[in-house]
Amino acid sequence: MDELLTQFLIEGRDLVAGAEADLGRLARDPGDTAALDSLFRAFHTLKGSVGLFDMAPAEALLHRAEDDLGAARKTGTPLTADRIDTLLASVDAVDRWIDELERDGRIGADATDRAERLIARLGGGEAIQAEHAVEQGYPNWLASLQARFSLRIAAAEGALIAFRYTPDADCFFRGDDPLALAAAVPDLVDIAILPRGDWPALDHWDPFRCHAIIEGISAAPIDAVRTAFRLVPDQIAVAALPVAQADTGSATDRGDGARLVRVEGARLDALAADVGELVVAANGLSHATRLAERLDPDLASTLRAVQGDIDRISGRLHQAVAAVRRVSLAASLRRLPRLVREIADSLGKPVHFAMRGESTEVDKAIAENLFEPVLHIVRNALDHGLESPVQRRAAGKPEKGHIAIDVIRQGDEVVVGISDDGVGIDPDAMRASAVARGTIDAAQAAALSDAQALRLIFAAGFSTAAEITDLSGRGVGMDAVQNAVERLRGRVVIESRVGEGTRIELRLPLDAITTRLLVVRAGEDRYGVRFDQIVETARIDARDIMTVGTGVACVLRERTVPVLDLSTLLGGAETADDTARLLLTESAGEQVAIRVTAFDMQMDALVRQTEGLLAALPGVAGTALLDDGGVLLVLDLPELVG
Amino acid sequence: MSVTVSGDIVHLTGACLVEDAEPLLLAFHANPACTVDVSGAVRLHMAVAQLLLAARPKVSGVPSDVFLRDHLFAKLR
Repeated sequence: MDELLTQFLIEGRDLVAGAEADLGRLARDPGDTAALDSLFRAFHTLKGSVGLFDMAPAEALLHRAEDDLGAARKTGTPLTADRIDTLLASVDAVDRWIDELERDGRIGADATDRAERLIARLGGGEAIQAEHAVEQGYPNWLASLQARFSLRIAAAEGALIAFRYTPDADCFFRGDDPLALAAAVPDLVDIAILPRGDWPALDHWDPFRCHAIIEGISAAPIDAVRTAFRLVPDQIAVAALPVAQADTGSATDRGDGARLVRVEGARLDALAADVGELVVAANGLSHATRLAERLDPDLASTLRAVQGDIDRISGRLHQAVAAVRRVSLAASLRRLPRLVREIADSLGKPVHFAMRGESTEVDKAIAENLFEPVLHIVRNALDHGLESPVQRRAAGKPEKGHIAIDVIRQGDEVVVGISDDGVGIDPDAMRASAVARGTIDAAQAAALSDAQALRLIFAAGFSTAAEITDLSGRGVGMDAVQNAVERLRGRVVIESRVGEGTRIELRLPLDAITTRLLVVRAGEDRYGVRFDQIVETARIDARDIMTVGTGVACVLRERTVPVLDLSTLLGGAETADDTARLLLTESAGEQVAIRVTAFDMQMDALVRQTEGLLAALPGVAGTALLDDGGVLLVLDLPELVG
Repeated sequence: MSVTVSGDIVHLTGACLVEDAEPLLLAFHANPACTVDVSGAVRLHMAVAQLLLAARPKVSGVPSDVFLRDHLFAKLR
């Protein structure tokens, strides 16, 4: 993709998010002049940026909105709630066009209509047109220049001077060489040679006329730049670039902007994979050390010292790479407010939507894959969770429903909570619906605890909604959410109170690089089991395992837990020791004990997804390298017992 | 001569001045699919540079001049 477009997709969305935040502040306090100033700047910069692409409706709309904001700043009249809504709708429209530009390479055919409707809603405003831009000493060309050189500007250490040189068309006849003049600018950072309008066709090209203009940025003082162009003062515009403002909320997320580097995601993935391999290779040293102990104790102690150093360094490296891979969730969740407004509108359910902690940093694999499941839950909350305004009033609730997303870090986990204050989920209705669908029979339904009954929403194709709307009832159920979260090695927790609302938590690991494994034996074979799938391990007398119905079970912590034998699950002979070694795991909210022949070591390993033949094996999540070079199959316990 | 044509390749060498724009334009007219070899170029007049930017030919070679390399040909590729 073209670099300019890539840059615009990132920065345009940042500006949209900034404008949304400013409008939120203005909605709470219409007299917040700092928010108004920041909003004006966001619209102004967006307008300059969209001008670089084929987005005329966006430019017209932003121009109109900017005039409006300019008038409000000038007169000090606070924006009305209606005006804030219209501006928000305008920001949403621009956001949608940016999405379309990315997806289709152009904005949709309905853009002009949409822009015109919004411009009409913005109305005449006080006629002050575009003068305010000049008034502030902020020429129009500067915004597009900033967008063009944004990478360089972001990387610059100090203040920069921008220039735009528009040579006379016949300057060549006077002996001028504009390019030589521009090349002589001191401390030149970057230049761009641009057509004046479009380049003429080569058939009609006049080689003796200058068809170009030159824009550039320099790190030299403004006077030095002016001096370089002293012979063409009428053809040159020079301006100091504004130093990045740190007063807006989003700027703090970016931290020290001048020192940021953008790195392609794939390179980080490769780096993380290599570091993961290094950790595994370092584990190999401990095997070598054990071998050496038998042969030469001195060599062994030297090896142990070396191993200690390597472990420490590879551990630090691992942490550093994990930290680099962490990105703010804000970028992946930023489309949510707009989508919530659109969905709420289409359903006729007014909603107050709040997000907290979205700047929490998570591994980029999680950030990239979290949006879909979260959106799905939010859709469900809007569609099935929240009641209509009439029903809410009848239930004594405010007409406007509430949906909130909060993100927090808890130890090694990131918790993304999605709460609504809707009808809640009735466990009895869940049981009845599951029986009616034939998912379970009546006896099984009756045996389910309320918490287990709530988890029925994760059963494939499950829905309790009496009417299937076009929104959530599309065959993609909460089971898709559960699968997506499990692929990220996370889990879903659900709480609900009838009449009061529902809270769904996605609990995800912070660090997605190496995985802590427990190696277990089934017969003679070794397998890896992920620590995060183990609730606990236990040793019990084999005689305490009883036959229950067609299966066997034991009592652990005063609960009866079904026992499955890992060997037989994997097609081997039944384990028959006097002591039963059990791994307790959770599958679909229920605990299951898995009997293994022996517990072996613990290890940190890079788990690779299985490919080819292995991928077809049920219950195998991936492979890991053992420190003696062997390959360990890593089991997916919930899938194996499910 | 700063602009020389050999087969499908147009070589730009030394300092390309304003008068080199016309032969370069003729070369583009004669063979719109030509490749321009810029490895020998040390300086380009704006008249030549703007023509390269408008015609966007295939470019081969890297000029030794840092300004040309970083600010002009890096963007032409």
